[in-house]
Amino acid sequence: MSAKGESYAEILEARGISRGDFLKYCSLLSVYLGLSASMVPRVVKAMETKSRIPVIWLHGLECTCCSESFIRSSHPIAADIVLNMISLDYNDTLSAAAGHQLEAVRKQIMKDYKGKYILAVEGNAPVKDNGVYCMVNGESFLSVLKETAADAMAVIAWGSCASFGCVQNAKPNPTGATPVHKIIRNKPVVNVPGCPPIAEVMTGVIAHYITFGSLPELDRLKRPRTFYGTRIHDKCERRSYFDAGMFVERFDDEGARNGWCLYKMGCKGPTTYNACSSIKWNEGTSFPIGSGHPCFGCAAPGFWDNGPFYTRLADIGFVGTDSTADKIGAVAVGGAAAGMAAHAIGTAVKKARDSKPEPTEVEEG
Amino acid sequence: MTTMYEEQYVWRLPVRVYHWINAAAITVLFLTGLYIASPLMSSPPGEATWYHGMAWIRLIHFATAFIFIANFVFRLYWALFGRDNYARFAGFTPWKPAWWGQPFKDQLASYLFIAKEEPNYCGHNPVAALTHFLFVFCGSFFMIFTGLAMYGENNPGGFIDTLFGWVVLLFGSSFAMHTVHHLVAWVFPVYLVLHLYAVVRHDVVDKSSVTSSIITGYKHRVEQCPELFAD
Ligand code: HEM
Ligand code: HEM
Ligand code: SF4
Repeated sequence: MSAKGESYAEILEARGISRGDFLKYCSLLSVYLGLSASMVPRVVKAMETKSRIPVIWLHGLECTCCSESFIRSSHPIAADIVLNMISLDYNDTLSAAAGHQLEAVRKQIMKDYKGKYILAVEGNAPVKDNGVYCMVNGESFLSVLKETAADAMAVIAWGSCASFGCVQNAKPNPTGATPVHKIIRNKPVVNVPGCPPIAEVMTGVIAHYITFGSLPELDRLKRPRTFYGTRIHDKCERRSYFDAGMFVERFDDEGARNGWCLYKMGCKGPTTYNACSSIKWNEGTSFPIGSGHPCFGCAAPGFWDNGPFYTRLADIGFVGTDSTADKIGAVAVGGAAAGMAAHAIGTAVKKARDSKPEPTEVEEG
Repeated sequence: MTTMYEEQYVWRLPVRVYHWINAAAITVLFLTGLYIASPLMSSPPGEATWYHGMAWIRLIHFATAFIFIANFVFRLYWALFGRDNYARFAGFTPWKPAWWGQPFKDQLASYLFIAKEEPNYCGHNPVAALTHFLFVFCGSFFMIFTGLAMYGENNPGGFIDTLFGWVVLLFGSSFAMHTVHHLVAWVFPVYLVLHLYAVVRHDVVDKSSVTSSIITGYKHRVEQCPELFAD
């Protein structure tokens, strides 16, 4: 915790990063944040002068893939800066300290930086049975979360678990897993969904906070617009194949070899908001669709319940079966037709009976 | 009760024009919609820039959607303000218990073969009005709202997204909304089966020329015309 109070520039200098590299990093960051070139000096200034923000990083019901992604931030110096940008004072998977010692650190930060620290939450909290399904240090994660959020300046919900629930709250959600924004209602919460989110997106959200002192502009689902403003489909490199109607039909067909659109393989790109198709993964190397695999919508709410992953239409639980919208619809039309046919026969029978004594239809009605 | 033996002008021209635009639009929307969900044809190998198959189908769906919406809005206007006794909403008051009274029961009883009488209406009979309300009115409303919300996604933060984007939240995710838009689309073919059957049957049973009425505007041999909707 010794570095707290130092600015980012000072830390980088101490680490032997040149001024040129520092400026390059700031420009890159501005691009990620969707800022115009004229804003770069502002980013540089913020990085030079503002002191680091203490962060408490909690882990609830999760798999730690967000942390894994975060520490793999791709830009050469970003890899270094990431962990230095924020003073990550408490992170149960990354800290050297453990056990009571670590808990003491958390309490200390909450006291020293009351109302000034950021709470980053990875994973969500099961709320059923008083939260017994996720215990940290003998306490339920639910209460740890509430306690730590109480004095936080803002809350960042890392990943789909914390943002929307992910696999933990897929039907039937036995533990009552609940996303962070439904538990913490009186603090600004930003959702950074994805399983995991892209490292640059994670850094970008924090950088925005440092530069402007506020959370980035959010959309209706509390996601930063800069990164989640458009669908993967909108910037997908295979989009021209979609518009052309050239689709992969099987994973080993001609279309697959030629990089055609994966829509018919169940691609959820058209309904998923994330930056995969623009920022990409692993130093901009590729992303699922770039590697020939359909997007399965890991950044979309409820994606586990919209399966199967490899078909275009979702299974809809309908009177105990797994159907698609088309099957249900076809059965309904068939039912209506059968009903009408039966009714027609009924009409004919009735008419025949009615017309026996007196065959005049005019009186009817 | 009024008794009539002559032909009667029931559907005025705007209603007839509306009807056929509506029928055509629904047919196109349903077919292109299913195609969007599962594009059957795949373009032959080549460069993507040579073809526009999917883009065209989507464009047709969206363009037809706006015709459908305009037509629907016109019908609402006509129902509320049009000087038209038969195509108004004025009599449709299902929130009043009286609406569910004798005329409704009689019509239902006749459809279910419980009653021998076949009531005959100049405009819509109450059972038909209810079916129209559920399938056509609610169904169209639903398709329009979910459709516009999806359409807005093409331009996030734009006009349509600002107005209708909140609809997505009702369904949790964009994908879930696609699924319900798709599911409710099937309401229209179900309605079509009921509708065409009812039309043909009325023609056969009470010879009131309903079938041609939506083209010519005239119904025939309407013997009795209970003034159900008079307040
Ligand atoms: C009778 C009315 C309509 C029917 C039967 C219909 C049918 C459909 C169907 C079956 C789909 C495919 C859904 C899926 O599985 O993803 C669809 C997609 C869509 N519809 Fe409609 N629709 C109707 C009206 C509208 C309206 C009024 C709009 C408004 C603009 C609209 C806009 C859309 C959009 C934006 C899509 C998504 C296209 C895409 O993802 O590429 N629809 N429609
Ligand atoms: C031979 C074919 C048809 C005949 C004789 C016929 C007849 C009629 C009549 C008499 C009405 C009541 C008019 C009104 O209230 O506006 C009506 C309404 C309606 N018809 Fe048809 N119809 C036919 C085909 C179709 C088709 C193919 C469709 C759709 C695909 C359709 C959709 C509708 C709808 C949606 C309404 C409700 C209109 C409203 O809002 O009032 N009809 N039809
Ligand atoms: S691969 Fe997926 S995201 Fe890319 S164009 Fe096709 S459907 Fe859209």
